[in-house]
Amino acid sequence: MESQSVENFVRERFAAKVGLSAPEIFDADLTLAEVVMRSEKLRNSVDLMEAFASTANGLRKEHGVRVRLPAFPLDTRTSVVLEALTDQVAAKLAQGTDAV
Amino acid sequence: MLAANTSPRRVEVAPPSTKSYPPVPSDLYEAFRSGAHTLSSMGWAQQQLHEARRWSVVEMLSHIDIDAMSPEDRIYVWNAGRAELTTKPGADRVARLADNECRRWLDVDPALAAVMQACGTWSRYWNEEEAHHETAFNQISARLGMPVVEDTTFIEFRKIFPDDDMLRTLTLLAISEIAAANKYVSCSRAARDPGLAALLRQVASDEIQHMRYFSSFARALVDSGHYQAKEAVSVVYLFTREGGELFGSRREQVEQRESHVNWWDQIETKDGVTQPDDIERQRTMIFSMLKSITGITVTTPDELEDAWMELVGC
Repeated sequence: MESQSVENFVRERFAAKVGLSAPEIFDADLTLAEVVMRSEKLRNSVDLMEAFASTANGLRKEHGVRVRLPAFPLDTRTSVVLEALTDQVAAKLAQGTDAV
Repeated sequence: MLAANTSPRRVEVAPPSTKSYPPVPSDLYEAFRSGAHTLSSMGWAQQQLHEARRWSVVEMLSHIDIDAMSPEDRIYVWNAGRAELTTKPGADRVARLADNECRRWLDVDPALAAVMQACGTWSRYWNEEEAHHETAFNQISARLGMPVVEDTTFIEFRKIFPDDDMLRTLTLLAISEIAAANKYVSCSRAARDPGLAALLRQVASDEIQHMRYFSSFARALVDSGHYQAKEAVSVVYLFTREGGELFGSRREQVEQRESHVNWWDQIETKDGVTQPDDIERQRTMIFSMLKSITGITVTTPDELEDAWMELVGC
């Protein structure tokens, strides 16, 4: 599994969950608060949290890797969240454990 | 002709008991569905419990020796008075939201509509009891000569929270009551003045009773089958995860919101005085509450995350 494919998976799955396009979110490097504000599918940070959980579940199902979801303040940029998730995947792959 | 007995009869009336309380009504959905309860009988049950638990702020304050309060006591009271300001908008919102939900379900599920109306009805007692807490703490702060709550702060803290799913809302409020009760119990144990310790214990006891009510209403929503247990689990996860809302103002970064004020973000430490807290105890109580609402058993944040992610799905 390549890190690029994991990153693309997270970008696309999360964007679909919140009803925005991946470039609109990640190329613009929106903050989490901006994602909530622009998305018509999200009312608040609980909805946002569920969108990330759903993305993590998809990662586990399709790539066999289980990631934990760290808590981020709403002014965190999506690039930081993306990096945190892909770093976890890379670390697990390096250890040779998928921890599914 | 017999003379009418016009002499007044003396009737001995026993003072109301404040030691044995009626239980918080439970199994609400089934009670309304089966006809075991009507809204009128539920109102009576709520009234009895409210009356049994009534207490006087004026009397309670008369037992507090302001001069005996430690510097820590003063900070606890000052923070508590500010925090309690946010409860009225919470109760106002629940009253409105519950009535909206009642009318939404009226033709679909009358028992659920009755649960919602019972919740909105109870919110008047909740509001009144929280008024005791707010005024008690702020009055002590005033007597201590501590900085008064400016009107601008007062109005800011009265902002009404944005609406959300009703099950999420009730779960959040139950958690908030647990967090508040824990803070008051801890502060009561640390208080130097016995009168203040008694007030803090009384307030903590009220908050636990509120938590039981919120849990009972939340359970009824799950029992109706119209609300997903996931919503309660999501909110519990939001609070109890590492760095979650339960950590309040001690988090590395606290959200800056325009919309409303969360009291747990506004606890201030002054002169090196920190609020006594016990995150693990709060987590244990919250997990127990989650079980009572959803039937889901978890004992650690990781177990909770596993259960939550399972419910969220892909």
